[in-house]
Amino acid sequence: MASPKTVPKDAQVMIQILKDMGITEYEPRVINQMLEFTYRYVTSIIEDAKIYAAHAKKSNVDADDIRLAIQCRMDQSFTSPPPRDFLLEVARQKNITPLPLIKPYSGPRLPPDRYCLTAPNYRLKSLQKKVTPSAGRITVPRLSVGAVTSRPSTPTLGTPSVQTVATKVGTPVSLAGQRFTVQIPSSQASTVKSVQNVLINPSLIGSKNILITTNMVSQNSSNDSSSLKRKHEDDDDYDTL
Amino acid sequence: MAAVQDGPIEPESEKESKTDALGDGSGNVSGSNTVGGTLSSSPVTASATATPATNTAATGGDEQQTLLMVLQFLKKNKLTESVEVLRREAGLADSVDDTQGSEADGGGQGSAANVSADAGDANSLLSRVAIATAASQSTAASTPAKVGGEDQPDVNVVLSAYSQQGDPALYQAYYSGLKNFIESVLDCHRAELSQLFYPLFVHMYLELVYNNHENEAKAFFEKFSGDQECYYQDDLRVLSGLTKREHMKGNETLLDFRTSKFVLRISRDSYQLLKRHLQERQNNQIWNIIQEHLYIDIFDGMPRSKSQIDSMSGSLAGEAKREANKAKVYFGLLKEPEIDVPLDDEDDDAENEEGKPKKKKPKKDNMGSKSKKQDPNAPQQNRIPLPELKDSDKLDKIMYMKEATKRVRLGPDILPSICFYTFLNAYQSLTAVDFTDDSSLIAGGFADSTVRVWSVTPKKLRRVKSAADLSLIDKESDDVLERIMDEKTASESKVLYGHSGPIYGISFSPDRNYLLSSSEDGTVRLWSLQTFTCLVGYKGHNYPVWDTQFSPHGYYFVSGGHDRVARLWATDHYQPLRIFAGHLADVTCTRFHLNSNYVATGSADRTVRLWDVLNGSCVRIFTGHKGPIHSLAFSPNGKFLASGATDGRVLLWDIGHGLMVGELKGHTDTIYSLKFSRDGEILASGSMDNTVRLWDATKAFDDVETDDFTAATGHIHLPDNSQELLLGTYMTKSTPVIHLHFTRRNLLLAAGAYNSQ
Repeated sequence: MASPKTVPKDAQVMIQILKDMGITEYEPRVINQMLEFTYRYVTSIIEDAKIYAAHAKKSNVDADDIRLAIQCRMDQSFTSPPPRDFLLEVARQKNITPLPLIKPYSGPRLPPDRYCLTAPNYRLKSLQKKVTPSAGRITVPRLSVGAVTSRPSTPTLGTPSVQTVATKVGTPVSLAGQRFTVQIPSSQASTVKSVQNVLINPSLIGSKNILITTNMVSQNSSNDSSSLKRKHEDDDDYDTL
Repeated sequence: MAAVQDGPIEPESEKESKTDALGDGSGNVSGSNTVGGTLSSSPVTASATATPATNTAATGGDEQQTLLMVLQFLKKNKLTESVEVLRREAGLADSVDDTQGSEADGGGQGSAANVSADAGDANSLLSRVAIATAASQSTAASTPAKVGGEDQPDVNVVLSAYSQQGDPALYQAYYSGLKNFIESVLDCHRAELSQLFYPLFVHMYLELVYNNHENEAKAFFEKFSGDQECYYQDDLRVLSGLTKREHMKGNETLLDFRTSKFVLRISRDSYQLLKRHLQERQNNQIWNIIQEHLYIDIFDGMPRSKSQIDSMSGSLAGEAKREANKAKVYFGLLKEPEIDVPLDDEDDDAENEEGKPKKKKPKKDNMGSKSKKQDPNAPQQNRIPLPELKDSDKLDKIMYMKEATKRVRLGPDILPSICFYTFLNAYQSLTAVDFTDDSSLIAGGFADSTVRVWSVTPKKLRRVKSAADLSLIDKESDDVLERIMDEKTASESKVLYGHSGPIYGISFSPDRNYLLSSSEDGTVRLWSLQTFTCLVGYKGHNYPVWDTQFSPHGYYFVSGGHDRVARLWATDHYQPLRIFAGHLADVTCTRFHLNSNYVATGSADRTVRLWDVLNGSCVRIFTGHKGPIHSLAFSPNGKFLASGATDGRVLLWDIGHGLMVGELKGHTDTIYSLKFSRDGEILASGSMDNTVRLWDATKAFDDVETDDFTAATGHIHLPDNSQELLLGTYMTKSTPVIHLHFTRRNLLLAAGAYNSQ
């Protein structure tokens, strides 16, 4: 850190500004950050002003251009909260509607799934068709949790296996239904048989299979598709590998 | 009225007469209202034509507006000949006026404004001094009037514009004149009239700035800013940086300050003095400003002393009008549902027979029949919809009651032990902390956008198993609740990622299933504590959200932020259910009342407001703090509210009467946490000055006496007994106290981050 005597002029000005605004305690990095911001802001304003001056076919940038540049920037990056009368009006409209009644016994009370963050944020790419005839040969599946593509190929299986059970919300029977445990099959389950389980190379971990599944809230109705019915018998298929 | 001062000579004489008529007060109230009403609607239209008016033959934009306003006024009063004459002489085009006429009446809101103005009880924008009984509908009526201008963004500027009040060079003379007058007045009146200085100073300064008299503004500021009260220093500093009109545009708080009325409470005698003085002198500039920007709430009685005034003033909008605090508030607690408390500790199941609670519940009688007696101060059970109790909630309540029997009764001689949780290595980034009600979990929100949850008990945090594993377990077994947990994920703490900005508010749900966090990125996130993932992000505030809290019954939560509103949400609605708008600056602290029917918000405009959840209206306004409010706490009996701010004082408020009942001085820095003990005997406060202080709450509330006068006027003489009420000061080693929590057995837990410098 430079001693006070060798602090550059800009920094001295900034220190003075902070003092004038009543800010007495601050980390030393604040000065640097403020100076950076100042430089960036002023440069962008002046550049905008140059453009406006050129547009108006003026040879020099003058105060009006700067004023216009500042105004446009203000509306863009430094938005301020809505004015009070607008807020009062919005509030009035909102507060007139009565509070909605609460449905009893409905499990975890969450907004519709569209507004939740509980959907999977990845999608498994569908299995490529080919089935190599040589039994016992396994291509090492690539494990990528959360990645978009994963292509385990299971040559020995005629029909690639699938699903894991999706339980509905609230079914843990004897519990108060706050826990949701579920999984959703992928959206294209009905059309393409796709592998949902990513399999780690068995040689790495012995003969155990590790299933990596996602947790999400299931839709209430539409997932009674046939894919849901497949159960854990699929696991047995991997045991042979 | 004010706008017409430098208008053409011809109609000015009419205005003068109107002004004098106004001076008599109640007689011509309706007349003045019409004036105000029309003038309020005409600027709507005037500015709309301001932009196209450049091609008319008017001399300047401002004068054009004035002329048009006068024209509207004349038209409204059916002075058609004068209208013609004025039009001809001023050279205004006919078509312009016609469109204005239609606009003024056509806009739905505009017509509402006209109607309300004509009704004679509305508060026009250029409001007049009101005697206390009137003007309770003012806030409601002014809203449509203001919104009428919403369509044209320029209009707001004009509506709240400071028109020229006279020669800028004379402002100093006006102010000095007033100053001399007030200093020469009797002592008993001087304190009250001194309240005028600050709002007048600010408004005059802003007027000078707005009309581009920069040098005069600076001179004015330098001369008189030192005279103001010390507690306004922060505002004055902001003002000193404001020298040009453009600076005012982005500052929402200042804009609100300009458009809202600064409320002063003055006794009738002092008011008469003032009025007589200002009307004696021929230049009634100050009188005009007073009428335009101040609301003087007159009461009959003794003038207040300086200390009384000081204790109540300090907020950005002056004090609260007395009507603002007159609505009925149901501050009682809801009846507890009856749950059978088994005598032996083994039985977990609750049966819904009549209760035999061991914990004293004052409203229930143990005669075996349901008590039908309703506390008159308690809200109805179904006033707002509340979620029903689940089995797990009933189990919780039973645990609560059992713990309550083992609770320590605190008092001035039995002080609680304090257990302090220090966050080490937080590097000053700990910004929010919360405990669960049964004190088993702590959550910390940090400036690096993470939320961390720790288990305080030996029981570790576990995630629920994946669905695959869940289908394998035996659902019928007794310990199914343990079996669904995945042992492999057991750990002391969990980190929750998701926010993109520092976390400023954090709150556990009462059933310990959810956690809320509010952040600078403008969202409030709901996290599940079973899976430790984020469930929902509630977007609505587009600006930093400073605080959030679950309601004591779960399901609802409230959040407050930089956009100056607090919002009430329910976990299953992606949009807020209620918007509590009214503060002039950021909402920094939001708390639910124990019966979930009311929400208290503390704000950077130095007021505390109490809102009704049922209809979103503001039922109480408490002024008196001199700095932004950072902590609020309701007493367990629901009657009182404690608030702490950056000025280091804790103020106690009686909710039912709407009065300040106590002031606790002692802290030297911002108070970030306040908590009442479980039975309300002790109030604990934690502050940035690294101390926790305990105050005797029972004594503080016992000393309150409310006779008719105090109830009517709200003026309480507070005894200066902070020293007696202070039961203990406990210092930490350079750790500011951010959160306080009384366990169910009245052990005090505190949390803070160690600050090494």
